[in-house]
Amino acid sequence: MSRRRIRTILLKEWVLLFTDLNSALVVTLLPFLVVGQGILYIWLAFRFAGESMLAASVFQTALQKLVEAMPGVIQLPGQEQLLVLLLSQFNFFLLLIPTMIAISVATFSIVDEKLSGSLEALLATPVKTWELLLGKALAGAIPALLMTWLSGGVFLLVALALGWGHLIGYVVTARWFLTLFLLTPAVAILSFMLGVAGSARAKDPRGAQNTALLIILPVFALIGIQITGVVWFTPLLILLLALAIGIADFVTLRAAVRLFRRESIVVQWR
Amino acid sequence: MAVIETFGLSRNFGKTIAVEDVTLAVEAGEVLGFLGPNGAGKTTTIRMLAGMIAPTEGYAIVAGHRTDRDMEQLHEMVGMLTQTPGLYDRLSARRNLQYFASFYPSVESQSQVEKYLKLMGLWERRDSKAGTFSKGMKQRLALARALVHEPKVLFLDEPTAGLDPEAAGEVRQLIRTLREEGRTVFLSTHNLNEAEMLCSRIAVIHTRLLALDTPEQLRRRFFRRQIIVQLEASDAKVMEVVKSLPFVQEARGEGSQLILELTDLERNRPELVKAIVEAGGRVIGVSEKQYPLEDVYLKLIREESGNES
Repeated sequence: MSRRRIRTILLKEWVLLFTDLNSALVVTLLPFLVVGQGILYIWLAFRFAGESMLAASVFQTALQKLVEAMPGVIQLPGQEQLLVLLLSQFNFFLLLIPTMIAISVATFSIVDEKLSGSLEALLATPVKTWELLLGKALAGAIPALLMTWLSGGVFLLVALALGWGHLIGYVVTARWFLTLFLLTPAVAILSFMLGVAGSARAKDPRGAQNTALLIILPVFALIGIQITGVVWFTPLLILLLALAIGIADFVTLRAAVRLFRRESIVVQWR
Repeated sequence: MAVIETFGLSRNFGKTIAVEDVTLAVEAGEVLGFLGPNGAGKTTTIRMLAGMIAPTEGYAIVAGHRTDRDMEQLHEMVGMLTQTPGLYDRLSARRNLQYFASFYPSVESQSQVEKYLKLMGLWERRDSKAGTFSKGMKQRLALARALVHEPKVLFLDEPTAGLDPEAAGEVRQLIRTLREEGRTVFLSTHNLNEAEMLCSRIAVIHTRLLALDTPEQLRRRFFRRQIIVQLEASDAKVMEVVKSLPFVQEARGEGSQLILELTDLERNRPELVKAIVEAGGRVIGVSEKQYPLEDVYLKLIREESGNES
């Protein structure tokens, strides 16, 4: 029964998501904007700031970690080493896509239903809280994940088009696949779980969105510590991180269910 | 057999007492009108009975389930029409119903959805988005949603509030249909005529339960039964004769009408008419004086307000 209910919630959410122009645009266009922006920054850095960036100590530390992880990079010219460093961060940059979509979509998923009154009718059915929250989180996380993977493909195609094809071998490694197919799903589900949980607890739509903005900070931190070489994520580290976030997904769902106060939703929202 | 029973049901919100010590029972197949002014605790009571909020004291059993314990089983047994229709405007009428029907394990959603869209007169508009519906249509769709899983008990929270007379009439007709089908309906309303038209018994609440009875018994509780004799013209001699009758307890004239209180309204009536005719009075009609339910309701509420102050 739970699977049937979750599937029902999922399908309903998708119909609502893709019949709302704003939400549909966020899900379909935002990923390409993120990819486009990322590639533009890399291209500008490579083209105009290569030498000065190489001189910066933070990049030197990161380059050193890169060379340790991939000794073959040392044979490349300095600027191309920098390009490999930047391109190999892109898998982490892609994590921004599900988190940004979550902020835009998931944060309104419960608030909107509270405001329209449909949540009260829904809570009068035998649906369980965890089924409702998981259904809503997956309804956003699945398209966000598919768009992230598509964006990863687009990124590689653009990199080829820009003449960086000979460097792709340094980018599409075990790290790339582990990030995209293990870490990204875990982060996507976590972002949407947090978004839905924030939405359920928020007193108004603005509050829901403000809370959800906090979701993006750990992703920025992850990109920051990677690009500055503070921590170099090896495949094993990425695997462990994905596992930890997977556990966090489960814990967050449990916590969200506990924090979901049916009574106050019914009593305080009209 | 009672399908709704409450035992000292109470609910506070902080220091505010919303519902206090409500004890009542509703029989299977009964339509109970639940009346009270704004803020009297009608919606809070319904929410407690539908297992959506817990009582702070007391408990309720609905369709055999404790409302504060067996919520999932309870929700399969009850249907609820909330004050706002709460539909998904961007979904069609059919998809709205299918969505809610699919949460019930024993419901064959396709046939149930079709049945209730037809019953509510929405079948022709089944693929139209709910957002394009009029208020009355939305309310009918919301009623279909409350019924789609064939609940034993139906809670209707002000189902005609905010509707125009035609739409309200349509909803009332649907409630009549439910009554004829023998469903148990707990109907919260402000509309006293509506309550009288649709309900077998009426409960009046103002935080506490002030009264629970049939409309007729409520009238008798507050107003003595009186008979109105309509004469062709006022006649002092007739009045004199009437006053002298041993079973007439009180008599007064209002134009060509005699308003009388009798010892036994049914048994004394033929003797009364005979005496009037023998005294030369020409009787046009005899009827019992009807007090509007509104008078009963206002009396109850005023008495309660008086007690509070």
